[in-house]
Amino acid sequence: MRQTFGRTTLTAMLCIGFLTVAGCGSKKSGGDSDAGGPVVSDGEAVSQLTGKIAVEGSSTVSPITTQAKERFNEQHPDVTISITGEGTSNGFKSFAKKETDIQDASRPIKQKELDTCNENGMEFIEVPVAYDGLTIAVHPKNKFVKSLTVDQLKKIFRSGDSAKTWKEVDPQWPDKKISIFSPGTGSGTYDYFSEVVIGKEGSLRDDNQINLNEDDNILVRGVAGDEFAIGYFGYSYYDRNKNDLQAVPIINPAGEAVLPTAETIESGEYAPFSRPLFIYLNSESLDKVEVEIFVESYMTNIREIVAAANYVPLPESVYTAATHNIENRVAGTHYLTAEGEKREGSIINVFKPENLKK
Amino acid sequence: MSEADYQVPAVDPQRAKNRHTISAIFRVACMLVAVQAVVILIVLLTTVFVRGVDQLSWDFLTGVHRDDNPDGSGLWPAIIGSIVICLICGAAALPIGIGTAIFLEEFKPRNKALAILHNLVQLNITNLAGVPSIVYGILGLTAFVYMFGLFGTYEANKAADLEFGAQRYYQVRTAAKTFVWIPVTDKTLRVLEIEEPIAARYPDGGDFTLNVIDRGATKPTDPTVLGQTVYRGSKASIFAKHPWHYLRLPFHKSVLSAGLTLALVVLPIVIISSQESIRAVPDTMRDAGLGLGCTRWQMVRTIVLPASIPGIMTGAILAMSRAVGEAAPLLAVMGGVVGKRNAPENLMDNAAAMPITIYNWARDDNPGFWELSATAIIVLLCLLLTMNSIAILLRYWAEKKFASR
Repeated sequence: MRQTFGRTTLTAMLCIGFLTVAGCGSKKSGGDSDAGGPVVSDGEAVSQLTGKIAVEGSSTVSPITTQAKERFNEQHPDVTISITGEGTSNGFKSFAKKETDIQDASRPIKQKELDTCNENGMEFIEVPVAYDGLTIAVHPKNKFVKSLTVDQLKKIFRSGDSAKTWKEVDPQWPDKKISIFSPGTGSGTYDYFSEVVIGKEGSLRDDNQINLNEDDNILVRGVAGDEFAIGYFGYSYYDRNKNDLQAVPIINPAGEAVLPTAETIESGEYAPFSRPLFIYLNSESLDKVEVEIFVESYMTNIREIVAAANYVPLPESVYTAATHNIENRVAGTHYLTAEGEKREGSIINVFKPENLKK
Repeated sequence: MSEADYQVPAVDPQRAKNRHTISAIFRVACMLVAVQAVVILIVLLTTVFVRGVDQLSWDFLTGVHRDDNPDGSGLWPAIIGSIVICLICGAAALPIGIGTAIFLEEFKPRNKALAILHNLVQLNITNLAGVPSIVYGILGLTAFVYMFGLFGTYEANKAADLEFGAQRYYQVRTAAKTFVWIPVTDKTLRVLEIEEPIAARYPDGGDFTLNVIDRGATKPTDPTVLGQTVYRGSKASIFAKHPWHYLRLPFHKSVLSAGLTLALVVLPIVIISSQESIRAVPDTMRDAGLGLGCTRWQMVRTIVLPASIPGIMTGAILAMSRAVGEAAPLLAVMGGVVGKRNAPENLMDNAAAMPITIYNWARDDNPGFWELSATAIIVLLCLLLTMNSIAILLRYWAEKKFASR
């Protein structure tokens, strides 16, 4: 009798033991299984460069960095590059704490973020990578909006006296509720839009007619699914969903209604919504061979990478200056004045050595 | 009561009819509800299956996520990632959960103050079972990812103050554009400028001495020698190779943090289900054991546990099944990792997981990925069914063992 007791005990203990040991034992096999992972090899020798690169920041810029990563990984499969796009402001928080190697940004760094970087001894190099035309989109069936002025946008987006219906924006338009789709407050696109449309003395509306979401794909779906919707996002997201959206021509300072296209964005006619996009590089990380070579390949193929991500390349002179800054580790931003104000103007005039500020 | 006293109640045919009608209506209603649930489930599974089954292939199971290329994408890193997270979760939650259940059920304190404490713990656990998992996610973020800031912060380019098991090398580009490694003596020196020949090794093993030549000097023609040569002043940068048991504090955004956070999520479920199966063991058996002179622990070990193991294991597997499918805590603790190309290499590495991959594929703006998310759901369901069938087999086996005694 006692024997059977003993045996059952043993099996019972083994059961629990098995579950626990299975846990410990298989973790080992999980660790070994990296060799079992797929190896990309198409006949040519792949390099044995190894290491990790952490990228965070703007969801508008992440398609560009992702293209760079895909190219790079074909040659160097052992380098792990993780890219998350949770918003420029959210990314800068990690970047200023030195948690990441590269920061994608859809707007230049702000004075407050620069201060945090300086507190933490974080040196960075500012690299403009592409132009983006921030696209204002409506539903394809929307026949009444022919163009929009910045003042009309202000009427739609500004908090306080904002328009509830389309009729309030223009008496000719239908008496229908406007439903608005906008990136979230952690997004550089949100910052840029509210700065251009509303300026410093107001804020974006914050009522039940506006839907904020950090995921641009959800904004695209939202505008595509509502006949009286309006939304804004990076040009790349519009370009990839052209069939479901209609871009609105914007009246530029010269008084012409201009649609966002590669040509109008590059020439600056699409104003005031043409903006440069950036990556910020952690100077310490550039000492790492894997980061250096990744950035090297990023800048060498920048035109193809930007085109593959549906954005517009910058003038060659800007790329040359940026590459020079990377090679010589010239740290700092060009987009802030000594007083901590944002420096305005075209990128060719702003991105100059004399405007550098640490 | 004798038979004479017993009065058969008068039968009212109308009432009987009504009762039977109501009974019939209720039965039909119950059936409708049940059928409705099953139909919804069948429709859901069928649509997922129809949309996803075409892409289900060996390549899909062994491939990695590729942006903008749904046809070439696969689920391998996410499958392994999910399994590893789940195993960490099980290793943490099951011993603690089952131990807690035994304590709460079998070792009730007699002292007044302790009894109040005991009841308080019991009440808390019951309530915790209903807390949404995202709340545990935020808790895990503070407790495991940042460790309340007690051990400094994580930086991309700094060795952690408290770490164990990392092997560090410098890697440098040779004149042949290949990469070789140099062992590290001082881990705080992050960049090594190579001026003198130095001992080095190939990434796949094999030691040699690294030669140094000046820029502009004639390069050696033999490719092997060229691969053992660097230019003077070349910078070698530090990187770490982490064995599977590598540990550091704080855990930062790692599979260990994720596993422990999920362990918190399922702990109440494990405790409650274990308690119930322990409670189901009849008191007569406990008394018999104690009457024969067992200590309390002997009684638990030899009588209660063997009898309740089937139920405990059922609860454990249900908890694990929940852990496999949780997305919210993982998002909070690891962030939405998608494009990872390999399985986690160690406990401090981050990982792709199936629920997060499914979520990201389903909202991708490339419609090809929507089909893939259905395929990934099929794989996830298969994993769940496998886990559940193992559980049922174990349970059957354990019950038979117990019944045969």
